[in-house]
Amino acid sequence: MPSASMLSASLSGREPVQDVALSVRDLNFHYGTHHALHGISLDFPARCVTAMIGPSGCGKSTLLRVFNKIYALYPGQRATGEVMFDGRNILDDSINLDMLRSRIGMVFQKPTPFPMSIYDNIAFGVRLHEKLNRTEMDERVQDVLTRVALWNEVRDRLNAPATGLSGGQQQRLCIARSIATRPEVLLLDEPTSALDPISTARIEELLDELKEEFTIAIVTHNMQQAARCADRVAFFYLGRLVEVDTADRIFTNPREKQTQDYITGRFG
Amino acid sequence: MPHERSHIVSSFEQELEQLRAMMVKIGRIVEEQVGLALRAISDHDESAAEEATRLDPEVDELEREVESLVIRLLALRSPMGADLREIVAALKITGDLERIGDYAASIARKAIKAASGDGQISLSGLRSMGRLVKENLGRTVDAVIAHDANQAMEVWHADRGVDEHYVTVFRELVTYMIEDARNIRACTELLFIAKNLERIGDHATNVAERVYYAVTGENLPTTRPRGGSPTRSFGQGEDTD
Repeated sequence: MPSASMLSASLSGREPVQDVALSVRDLNFHYGTHHALHGISLDFPARCVTAMIGPSGCGKSTLLRVFNKIYALYPGQRATGEVMFDGRNILDDSINLDMLRSRIGMVFQKPTPFPMSIYDNIAFGVRLHEKLNRTEMDERVQDVLTRVALWNEVRDRLNAPATGLSGGQQQRLCIARSIATRPEVLLLDEPTSALDPISTARIEELLDELKEEFTIAIVTHNMQQAARCADRVAFFYLGRLVEVDTADRIFTNPREKQTQDYITGRFG
Repeated sequence: MPHERSHIVSSFEQELEQLRAMMVKIGRIVEEQVGLALRAISDHDESAAEEATRLDPEVDELEREVESLVIRLLALRSPMGADLREIVAALKITGDLERIGDYAASIARKAIKAASGDGQISLSGLRSMGRLVKENLGRTVDAVIAHDANQAMEVWHADRGVDEHYVTVFRELVTYMIEDARNIRACTELLFIAKNLERIGDHATNVAERVYYAVTGENLPTTRPRGGSPTRSFGQGEDTD
């Protein structure tokens, strides 16, 4: 839970005109000797869905991993440059990782429910950051499950193991778990690539609702999905940001030839 | 528009080629229809008039084929970027070309009716209007085939000349009718012919706009320089299209 001073700083420090949740400047990333991101500069407007597209290995997932510093778990991986979030550069060593990850949530390609009950999957993260009494926790669980449209499906079996849910339900549970700590930014790494079309449509519908409150960064290989869900789309190639623009512009008339070749399926 | 690289999915590339070939075919047929209709006016050539009408169902059939291919491409290939623009433009261009074909057939039929008059009416204004319309249409179809945005923009501007011709022809025909009431029947047919030629010009500019959008991704301005409206001086409202 962000402290009161941090919250007020975030409120006063946020210009209403340029409401940017994450601002990346000259970001470079290395996996050991491999230079994976080259001088990326990119803004993520608040309460918008920004999609990152590009062929495998282009660096889009790496960028997501930078935002909640998952890479810090691995020796030899390092990021330089600036990623400003709420007035601070999250690349600084002084950043509290638990705090950062409660404010920037992440959902992965494969649903990753904890081996515990549906209820505890949500309560687990909340307990780390907030002291809620039983009633408050019940409300929180119901609230987030309702928001991901899972409540009606699981209300009678909250104590059943989460692993018994279908893939689509598990992924919605993971999104519920991410938003339960009330983050500001939600990172989604191919959240529907393992799901059937109906579950995919439900998640896409959910993104539309969630963006009213959260800033969403999504990595997807599915260009139709990017076109359907995203306000802005960034195209990456070989670790470089080639072009970023509105989804409308990128998919009907991109400026760069590389983008055009990629979206029309002419990439060799 | 055609890319330097071909699509990774070669069957998609083949379908795009098929669509382009259909556009060439429908464009050339409609051009021929307009040429035949003009011959029907100039030479009172009844067989030309019949031929222009006979081609109509062929154009209709091609339009349906383009429509179903476009729907299939949209549904199965989910085209993006320049592919999307080209495919949607093809659908709309075909609609305009089909209308041009209809106008040509209608002109051909009216030309034969008008010719049954006593031949006192000069057709020179109408002929030169027809030549300009045909020339513009030909260049428009060329722009469709060559994916040429510059040519599309030129013919888009050139329609102003057609509008100016229309004003002149309109006034001429009205003068004939005022001079001698026996001219009214033929002149009425000729007025419709002039109006149809003017409409063909407008549809050709629509086609030019689509080509420009498909190639560049940008729209031409929503208003086009116009050559005036003959009806305005007769107390009617602006002719809008």
